[in-house]
Amino acid sequence: MMPPGETGGIIQSKRQVIFMSEKKLMSKKKFSERFGHLGFLGPGMIFLFLVLIYPLAYSLRLSLYRFSLTDATQRWFMGLEQYIGLLTDAPFLQSLYLHLAFIVICVFFQLVIGLLVALFLNRDFYGDRVVRSLLLIPVFILPVVSGLTFRFMYNPQYGAINWLLGLVGFGPIEFLSRGDTAFISIIIQDIWRMWPFMFMIIYSGLQALPREPFEAVKIDGASKFQELFYLTIPMLKPTIVVAIILRTIDVLKVFTEVFVMTGGGPGRATTLLSIHIYRNAFSFFNMGYAAASSYVMVLLAMAISVILIKKVYA
Amino acid sequence: MERGFFDRSVGRIIFYLLVLLLLVLQLFPIYIIISTSFQSNLDIWASMSPFESFTPTLDNYRYVLFRRPFLQRIRVSIIVAVFTTIFSVSVGALASYGFARYKFKGNKSLSMAVLATRMIPPITLCVPFFMLMSAIGLLDTYSGLIIAHTSFILPFVIWLTLPFFEKIPQAFEDAALVDGCTRLQSFYKIFLPMVAPGLVVAAIFSFLFSWNDFIYALILGSSRIQTAPVAVSGFIGQFGPEWGAMTAAGTLVIIPVFVFAMILQKYLIDGLTAGGID
Repeated sequence: MMPPGETGGIIQSKRQVIFMSEKKLMSKKKFSERFGHLGFLGPGMIFLFLVLIYPLAYSLRLSLYRFSLTDATQRWFMGLEQYIGLLTDAPFLQSLYLHLAFIVICVFFQLVIGLLVALFLNRDFYGDRVVRSLLLIPVFILPVVSGLTFRFMYNPQYGAINWLLGLVGFGPIEFLSRGDTAFISIIIQDIWRMWPFMFMIIYSGLQALPREPFEAVKIDGASKFQELFYLTIPMLKPTIVVAIILRTIDVLKVFTEVFVMTGGGPGRATTLLSIHIYRNAFSFFNMGYAAASSYVMVLLAMAISVILIKKVYA
Repeated sequence: MERGFFDRSVGRIIFYLLVLLLLVLQLFPIYIIISTSFQSNLDIWASMSPFESFTPTLDNYRYVLFRRPFLQRIRVSIIVAVFTTIFSVSVGALASYGFARYKFKGNKSLSMAVLATRMIPPITLCVPFFMLMSAIGLLDTYSGLIIAHTSFILPFVIWLTLPFFEKIPQAFEDAALVDGCTRLQSFYKIFLPMVAPGLVVAAIFSFLFSWNDFIYALILGSSRIQTAPVAVSGFIGQFGPEWGAMTAAGTLVIIPVFVFAMILQKYLIDGLTAGGID
């Protein structure tokens, strides 16, 4: 028997204390308690290391080289010169600017529309569930299908959007052949597809708000606007922050829709950073340059995820 | 619930009209996809109005399914999605159990790191994936694409199933361990049956994310391994825009997504906020 007070041989859990008499069993359990997680986590973590960490490290090394895939004479070590070069590289800076503008404009409009519709639909009415489900449908359209369908609808000869414009007396517009309208067009596509996502998050936030404060301010005689700006929005703020961050991470990944709608054109008008990286890597095969450009994007993603983890999961 | 303008008689009518307008705006492009897929090329090119009457025809579907290798592309998509799902869910469930049931140093930071990998934009991984896979001969193979898909779906599965594992009371496992079960036995005899619903949800989402992927399939596949979404875009590039064929193929690709989305309604918000549909 063991002297009282000695912990060896006793496994403690929240609910029960079990006395283990067999010494052999004890040591075996201890070993599996200490190292068992390696067995369970091992396969997943090793895999993630091989397919995420190693490629990212490889890409970091690649980003320090001039490395043409097709021309063996165009390969040499550049070091940080590659990154310094990016700072004055007009096409890169323009695509970074377009990418950021795309994110800010899309997230802003999706937030505004999502919030307004959530407030508007936040009442009991006949068929409310069906309406919400129908509104969410575009979120499930594959980006490639959505992008191509908008390309079809923007067509000046037989596109539905120009037909609508014609109804109100505007001539057909070659949306995707003009720089300014092309950029607006890809933004409209993204807003259409993803504002319902923003709406759903904010709507569930609204539904979860307690009722009492609203009854209280009503008794105090607050106007609708006062209620909205001094009660609803401040109480919704955490939900809105989460929604903005989630959307930002998602929009940062934008590629497919723009790739199939415009391919980055006309000219470079819709060449977002992701399209810029794609073109350099897989049309011009400048892998080193593409790796360096994509590291700028990794940094952006990391900055956003740090904010996310601090705000949401802390 | 308090009653505002939109809840009184005239306001009520205006409210429903506004809801209707919203639905029409939102569903208009969907209507375009589906209605165009049933139009002959002549009808598509003849008029701008999407509401002009036309004779419905299945020609586009026949063309896509029987005269172009689209069925074969769907097969590739299904094979990739199924293997990605099996691999991600089995490895992911083990890892979730590890995170949920072992208290070890760095547990929290490691699970956070796994979560953070989901923020990496796919295009930034495409360059190293392409280089490394061409070096070891994985370009244009099933394995290559399955590995690429698992790289972003596995962290998602871990994230989604972790709460399911954490919810199971410690007492269940203690009882099993006392009765002489090993951890591995307790994992598949006690935990797996109890977290089965969570694993099904994770499996469906995994399938969808793999099915929806465009960028990895575009870069890592070419002639042999071409998935359905890449093939859809092929109808616009290769021989001039074949809008009828594109919308028919697009409709076919969307159908499984809708079916699964309906099954998953309850878990939709969780899954979407974790992964994003991209």
